[in-house]
Amino acid sequence: MPKEFAVELQDLRKVYPMGDTEVVALDNVNLQIEKGSFTVVMGPSGSGKSTLLYLIGGLDWPTSGMIKVWDAVVDRMDENTLANFRRNRVGFIFQSFNLLATMPADENVAFPMRFSGAKPAERVMRSRALLEQVGLGDRALHKPTELSGGQQQRVAIARALIHDPPLILADEPTGNLDSTSGYSIMQLLSELHKTGKTVLVVTHDSRMQQFATNTIYLLDGRIVTPEEFKNATDVSRLEKQTQEG
Amino acid sequence: MRFFDLVGLILYNLNRRKGRVALTAVGVIIGTAAVVVLVSLAAGLQKNATSQLYGISDLTNIEVYPGYSMGDSQGMAVAVGGGGGKQMPDMQLLTPSTISDIEAIPGVKQVIPQDYLQLGIDMVYGKLHSYGNVIGLDTDDLSNMGLTASQGVTSLAKGTIVIGSWVTRNFYDPKARPNDPPVEPPDLLGQSVKFVLSKWSADGVEVKKTVTLKVVGVLNETRGMSDGSIYLPLSEVTAWNEWSRGTRINRNKEGYSMLNVRAESVDVTTDIADAINALGYQANTPQSYVEGINSFFMVLQVIFGGVGAIALLVAAIGIANTMTMAILERTREIGLMKAVGATNKDVLSIFLGEAAGIGFLGGLGGVLIGWGGSAILNVVALSYYASQVSQQGGLVPSMATSTPFWLPVFALGFATVIGLLSGLYPALHAASLVPVNALKYE
Ligand SMILES: Nc1ncnc2c1ncn2[C@@H]1O[C@H](COP(=O)(O)OP(=O)(O)OP(=O)(O)O)[C@@H](O)[C@H]1O
Ligand SMILES: [Mg+2]
Repeated sequence: MPKEFAVELQDLRKVYPMGDTEVVALDNVNLQIEKGSFTVVMGPSGSGKSTLLYLIGGLDWPTSGMIKVWDAVVDRMDENTLANFRRNRVGFIFQSFNLLATMPADENVAFPMRFSGAKPAERVMRSRALLEQVGLGDRALHKPTELSGGQQQRVAIARALIHDPPLILADEPTGNLDSTSGYSIMQLLSELHKTGKTVLVVTHDSRMQQFATNTIYLLDGRIVTPEEFKNATDVSRLEKQTQEG
Repeated sequence: MRFFDLVGLILYNLNRRKGRVALTAVGVIIGTAAVVVLVSLAAGLQKNATSQLYGISDLTNIEVYPGYSMGDSQGMAVAVGGGGGKQMPDMQLLTPSTISDIEAIPGVKQVIPQDYLQLGIDMVYGKLHSYGNVIGLDTDDLSNMGLTASQGVTSLAKGTIVIGSWVTRNFYDPKARPNDPPVEPPDLLGQSVKFVLSKWSADGVEVKKTVTLKVVGVLNETRGMSDGSIYLPLSEVTAWNEWSRGTRINRNKEGYSMLNVRAESVDVTTDIADAINALGYQANTPQSYVEGINSFFMVLQVIFGGVGAIALLVAAIGIANTMTMAILERTREIGLMKAVGATNKDVLSIFLGEAAGIGFLGGLGGVLIGWGGSAILNVVALSYYASQVSQQGGLVPSMATSTPFWLPVFALGFATVIGLLSGLYPALHAASLVPVNALKYE
């Protein structure tokens, strides 16, 4: 039986024109992510991790190449189909939470339902249940400013789950958190993985790997083997040391 | 996105930026209030002017003057209409046969010939003197002219006169010294006044004739011609005119100076006037003044409304500015909305709705303030008029401002559309943002 893929990328390129020159953020990326996997994307700053995640989530358009998420070909979608895809197929988690400061936690969680037309009763039930699930059952009426960073990220995770998407995309979800609350966020993501979600996490924190089923290494917009990655990062570390010395 | 959710989110967004929304709406409030007050004022002035015109002369009266012919065909009509008398080819006279012609026009109730006294007159009451516009009417009752009496009667008979309401105010004492108090207007009803008529004989001697007449009626004020007029039967005025020139007047050859044609109803007035004009005479109706005045006030309303609309356009720039700022500040929020499934249309609708909402709220406030302002202006202006009237006389206007029922609805709609249009560019910009760029925006 062939493996089923949650995400398939073929010859994916993303090039930003910068005046006369071009910045190649992603350079012919070919990648398959299995359904039900917990994949960690590692790479130095500027290697194209966020770009990769946003393209898979349909928040940006590739320069060329194909993006397939489940059966949906993301790069071919029109605006409305794409909006529908973002709403129902993926849940996005950001480094900076992106909560609406004026709304209490439960309304932040239910916010995507304003665009899907869910019934008010369903919104309340679902947002309360999700807050319960992320351990914030008693914080439903707190505004983001009344919550810690870790709690805010839990609210954001609950929001990402509101339409029960099969794919969770997280861009450095622990980047703004201290190591303890960062670690509990990792545990939460791992729990989601155990409930059957396919999870793709961009991170600099190597502790994430203990929860991962796969790790992808990015260097200058290309996917590299762990050895290449190790060599390259060692070399750059050596270079750095010699420069400093 | 369902409509209910859209409106809910728009209201939520407006509510969380109360201060700025209120400040922006103030511009719209001022503009809308200006539109409402100024147009109400123009409409009020119009109603006032037309209602006072209705008072001057009721609209069923048509004044007919002799026609001045323009060509041959009318010259021939003169020959026929003039009953074969002495021809005046450039003038179409108002002869007795004209009267029967006009009486034949459908809707004509009555034709009342009129003439003026063509000689000097001095009106004497005790030691007081006065003057007035002496009018002879070929009717036995002034009520046929739509006139009513405040004292006495309106009937015209030999040896009596009916005077307009201001005639008594024209009395003066020729022997008064400069510092004497002004003459109290005498109560003339039932009193006899002397008319001193004067003419110059062929050898240059002034000949005078005194007639004593009894005042039997004083007319109600009309703020028109009748107020300063003295009414007599036409036969009396004709007799005096004949005495003045020394020969008899042949109406068939000379005609009347004017005919008052009374229509059966207001609806047929202009039709009758047109028919009379077609006969070659000059017919004037107050109706045509009313129409002229109406079109003048339409222009005034448009100009006043335009001034308010300029204020609204300035407010529109304020809305556009607020929306542009809001979209800059909320760029990340727009990115988030798109990331969680908002379509471009959703984003467009939200921001257009917010802009229209500011316009609507400002419009609502402006309509209420404008309405209230018009009502207050009405009270203030009317009490001012009333004090003026008590000092100087005249009719108290019924209103200073008048708000047509469509105006608040229109102003509210206009303010909302202005808001919507001002939000169009910022909202389109918001809708077209690439989600990832919006999310990365600092
Ligand atoms: N809008 C843009 N315009 C031009 N260049 C861009 C743009 N967005 C990203 N890049 C470039 O693309 C490359 C990849 O960026 P990306 O954000 O994917 O890196 P990253 O791996 O997420 O880095 P970090 O770990 O610092 O978040 C970088 O060189 C970056 O400068
Ligand atoms: Mg990044």
